[in-house]
Amino acid sequence: MHRHQELCERAVDPLEIAAGLEAHGITDRTAARFRHRDVFSLAEEMYARVSRDGDAPTPEAPAAPRARTDWALLTLLPGTLCTAAVAAVHLTHGRSRLFAAAAGTLAVALAFRAALHRGPLSRPDRTVPGRSTTRTSWLVAYALLGNGLLDGAIAGGPDSLPTGTADGPWPLTTTPVLALALACAPAAWTAHLFTARARRKLAASRGLEDFAAAVRPLLFGTFVLFLGALAALLTLCAAVLDEPAAYAETLTLGALLFLARLLTTHGFAYAPAVVLTATATLQAAALAAVFTSRLPGCGFLATPVETLVTTWGAGSVPALACGTAALALLVHATRKLTRASAHAPPEPSR
Amino acid sequence: MRIGLLTEGGYPYVSGDARLWCDRLVRGLGQHEFDVHALSRSRHQEDEGWIPLPPNVRRVRTAPMWTAEDDEVVLGRRARRRFTECFGELAAVLSGASGGAPAVFQRSSAGTPGAAKRPSEGASTHEADRFANALYGLAELAREAGGLVGALRSETAVRTLERACRAPGAHRAAREARVSDLLAVAAHLERALRPLSLDWYEDDGLGAVDLCHAASGGPAALPGLLARHFTGVPLLVSEYGVRLRTHYLTAPDAPPAVRSLLAAFHGRLAAEAYSRAEVVTSGNTHARRWQERCGADREKLRTVYPGMDARPFAEVGESPECADPDTLVWVGRVEPAKDLVSLLHAFAEIRKRQPKTRLRIVGAPAGSEGTAYLGHCRTLAAQLFPDEADGPHATGDNPVSFEEIGGPELPSLADAYASGAVTVLSSVVEGFPISLVEAMLCGRVTVSTDVGAVVEVIGGTGLVVPPRNPRALAEACVALLRDPARRARLGAAARARALELFTVEQNIEAFHSIYLEIVSRAPIRRVVLDEAGAPLPFAVPAEAHVPIRWAAPSPSLVVRGGPGWATARPVRATTPAPEGAR
Repeated sequence: MHRHQELCERAVDPLEIAAGLEAHGITDRTAARFRHRDVFSLAEEMYARVSRDGDAPTPEAPAAPRARTDWALLTLLPGTLCTAAVAAVHLTHGRSRLFAAAAGTLAVALAFRAALHRGPLSRPDRTVPGRSTTRTSWLVAYALLGNGLLDGAIAGGPDSLPTGTADGPWPLTTTPVLALALACAPAAWTAHLFTARARRKLAASRGLEDFAAAVRPLLFGTFVLFLGALAALLTLCAAVLDEPAAYAETLTLGALLFLARLLTTHGFAYAPAVVLTATATLQAAALAAVFTSRLPGCGFLATPVETLVTTWGAGSVPALACGTAALALLVHATRKLTRASAHAPPEPSR
Repeated sequence: MRIGLLTEGGYPYVSGDARLWCDRLVRGLGQHEFDVHALSRSRHQEDEGWIPLPPNVRRVRTAPMWTAEDDEVVLGRRARRRFTECFGELAAVLSGASGGAPAVFQRSSAGTPGAAKRPSEGASTHEADRFANALYGLAELAREAGGLVGALRSETAVRTLERACRAPGAHRAAREARVSDLLAVAAHLERALRPLSLDWYEDDGLGAVDLCHAASGGPAALPGLLARHFTGVPLLVSEYGVRLRTHYLTAPDAPPAVRSLLAAFHGRLAAEAYSRAEVVTSGNTHARRWQERCGADREKLRTVYPGMDARPFAEVGESPECADPDTLVWVGRVEPAKDLVSLLHAFAEIRKRQPKTRLRIVGAPAGSEGTAYLGHCRTLAAQLFPDEADGPHATGDNPVSFEEIGGPELPSLADAYASGAVTVLSSVVEGFPISLVEAMLCGRVTVSTDVGAVVEVIGGTGLVVPPRNPRALAEACVALLRDPARRARLGAAARARALELFTVEQNIEAFHSIYLEIVSRAPIRRVVLDEAGAPLPFAVPAEAHVPIRWAAPSPSLVVRGGPGWATARPVRATTPAPEGAR
C-alpha cells in the first residue's frame, strides 16, 4: 500500500489505481493475498482508504512564449527600410526620385510581410489567406496621399501628379507613414506582452469571470502603451522631417490597425475585415463625393466633406473615419479578447 | 456480406496498430467485402501510406483525428441553443453534476452503467442514459447543421463546461477546475468528438454495410455507434488492449480536474460502446475483465485469442530432438519490465546445481532505456559468471550469451527456440506473451512468471512461478532440466494447445462465426428501391418480418411425438369438428 501511495493520492477514480497497479505487475493472485477478489476491488479499497484532503498544488504557469531575437529584429525592419526610403526620396530628384519611391514602397511592403509572418503578430493558422491586406494598403496610402488630394480637389485640382515633396501642389505627408512603419516594433512587443501576461492570468484564474476581469485592464494597458509609443515616434518623426505632426489621424489609424491585427492573431478575423472595409469605403466615398460634386446638379454632395475640411482641415476626414472604426474595434476587442477561448494554447501540430 | 471495418491509427496505415491482425482477417475472409473506415492519428502516419490491400477491400475512407477543418459554419440561434443543451448535458454527466457516479462505479450495484434512471428535464425524460442522448444529440446537430468543430472550440462550450463543474453535486476534482483545465478539457473533447462531424453515416457510407466491426475500442467505436444510431447497423467491438486502460496509463501528469473529466468521458464512451455493441470480443481474460468492469454484458463477451502464424515453427515443432538438453532460452525485447536481472540471478542458482547449463538471451533492446538495461545486464552477467573453458588448452566462453535474430548463428526466430530445451520468461509486467506462444508452437516447455495473460496462455503445459522470485524460477528450471521425459511430454502438450487456440485460422474462423451470428440475430431491414428510386413493394417476402421462434416446436412435429395439450388440436381434427373443413 505504501509503495503505491503516490499513485493513490493522484488518482481520480479506482480504475486509475487499478490500471496503475497492473502496470506495476500486480495481478489477481497478488490481490488475493490481500484478501481481495481481484485487482479492481483492491484498487477500490485503496482509493477509499487514502486521504485526499491535501490541497492540490497550484499548477505551474505554462512557459510563456519566449521573446525570440529573430522576430524582434524583423519587426525593426519595416521602420528601418521606411526611414531609408524617405531619406532617398528627399535626397533625389526627378526620375530617380520616382524609382526611389517605387523601390522604397516595395521594400517596405516586403518587410511588413516578413515581420507579420512570425512572432506575436502572426496569424495562428496560415492556411487561410489574409483578407485585409488590400484594405490596410488603401488606408496607409490614404494617409500618405489622401490629405493632399482632398485639399487639392476642394480647391479645384489636382493639377499635377505628386512630386514627392511636402510643399508641392499635391503634398505628400510622409510623417504618419514613417511613424507607423517604426511603430511595427512596439506593436509586436506589446502584443507579445499581452499574450504572455494573458497566459499567466489563464493559469492563475479560477473562473471565466475572474479571467475576463483580469484581462480587461491588461488589454487597455497594452493599447495605451502602444498609443504612447506611437505618439512618441510621431513627435520624433515630425521633428526630424520638419513637418506638422498629424496626431489625430495617425493615432487613430495606428490604433485601428493594431486592434485589427490583435484580433486577427487571436482568431477573430471577421470583424476586423468588416471594419477595415467600412473605413476604407468611407474614405473613398469622401473623395468620390468631392469629385462627383463637380457634375452639374450634384454640388450638394460635397457639402459635408467641405464643411469638415474648412472647419478642421483635411486630416479630419481620416481621423473621424479611423477614430470611429478604432472605437468600434476596441469595444469588440473588450468582448472577444477577454474570453478564455481566445487564449487557448495552440494545438500541438503532429 | 459487407463489413465496415473501423480503425483508429491502425489498418491500413503502414505504421498502424494491429494492422497485421486486420490484414490477416481481411485476407482470410475473402468471401466478404470490406469497407475500411480509418481514422489516422498523425500527419506522419498519413504520409507513410498504406499497406497493399487485398481485392475484397471495396473502398477505403480516411479521416484525420489530428486536425480538423473548421467548416466555418456559424450556428444559428436555434442550433446554438440545441448545442448548448446537448453539450451542457454531456458536461453535466462528465462532471457528475447529475448526481450519478461515473459509469464504472455503478456496475456493481446496477448492472449496466446506463442504469442511472434519473429523470432529466425536457425531451430526454424517457431515455435512461443522458450521456448517450447528449452524444447522439451532438451527432445529429453535426449532421444537420454542421459547425460542430467551431462550436466545440467556442466560448459557449467552455462556459457550459464551467457551469457544469460548478454545479452542485459535481465531483471534488471537477469543482477545482481552473480556466486552463477547462480549456484543456474542451480541446480534448473537441478532438475526441471529431468523428461526429464526418460524412460517413449516409446511405452510401456506413449505411450500406451489414455490420460494423470496430478494430479497437474508444474513438474507433464512435463511428460504429453513430452508424448504429443513424442507420441501425449492428456493431462488433474487438479489443486486444483495453482503450480505457491505455487512456489511464498514457494520461500524462495533467491536473486532477482534467484527468477526472476525461476519465469520465472515456469511461462513459466505453460503456456506451459495450452496451450498444451486439458482441464485444477481447484478446484475453484480462481485457475481458476490464470490459466486464466497464459495464459490458457477460453474454456479449467472447474471447478471441490473437492468432499467430504457425508455419515458421512447424519444422522445429515436429522435431523436438534437435534441442540442446542443457540450454535455457529467453526471447523478447530487452527492457526493464522483462526483469532479466532476476533471470540472471536465477541462472546463478541453476548453475550451482546443474553446472553444465547455458543461457541464451535473444532479443534486441527497445529504445534507449532498453539499450542501457541491456548494458547493465551484460555487466551483471560478466560479474556473476566468469568465462570458462573445457580444458587448459581451449578458449573460454561465458555461459550467458546475448544474441540478436538475423545473425549467422540465429537466422530466424524458430532457430532461437529450437536451440534450447526450456524457454524462460521472467517478466514482471506482461500483456499477451507472444514469445510464450511461439515457444509453445515450437513444442518447447516453458517456465514463466505469473503475470498478465501467462497462465491463460500456458494452461497446464508449462511451469509458472511468482514474479520477482529467482529462487522459485531456478527450482522450476532445474526440475525440468533433470527430467527429459517430462520436458517432452509438456512440450508436446504445449504445441497441441497452441495449435488449437493460437493460430491465425482459429482467429479468422472465430470472427467469421461471430459475423454470421450477428447478422442472423440483428439483420438490417432495408427498403429495396427500384431503378427510379421508389420503394419496391413486396421485394422482401413478408415472412422475413414475421417474428417466429424457429426453435419452437412446430405443429407437424408435435403430431408425432408431442404429448399432452400440444397434441390436442391435431388429434381433435380427426373427430367431427363444429365448423371444420368438412
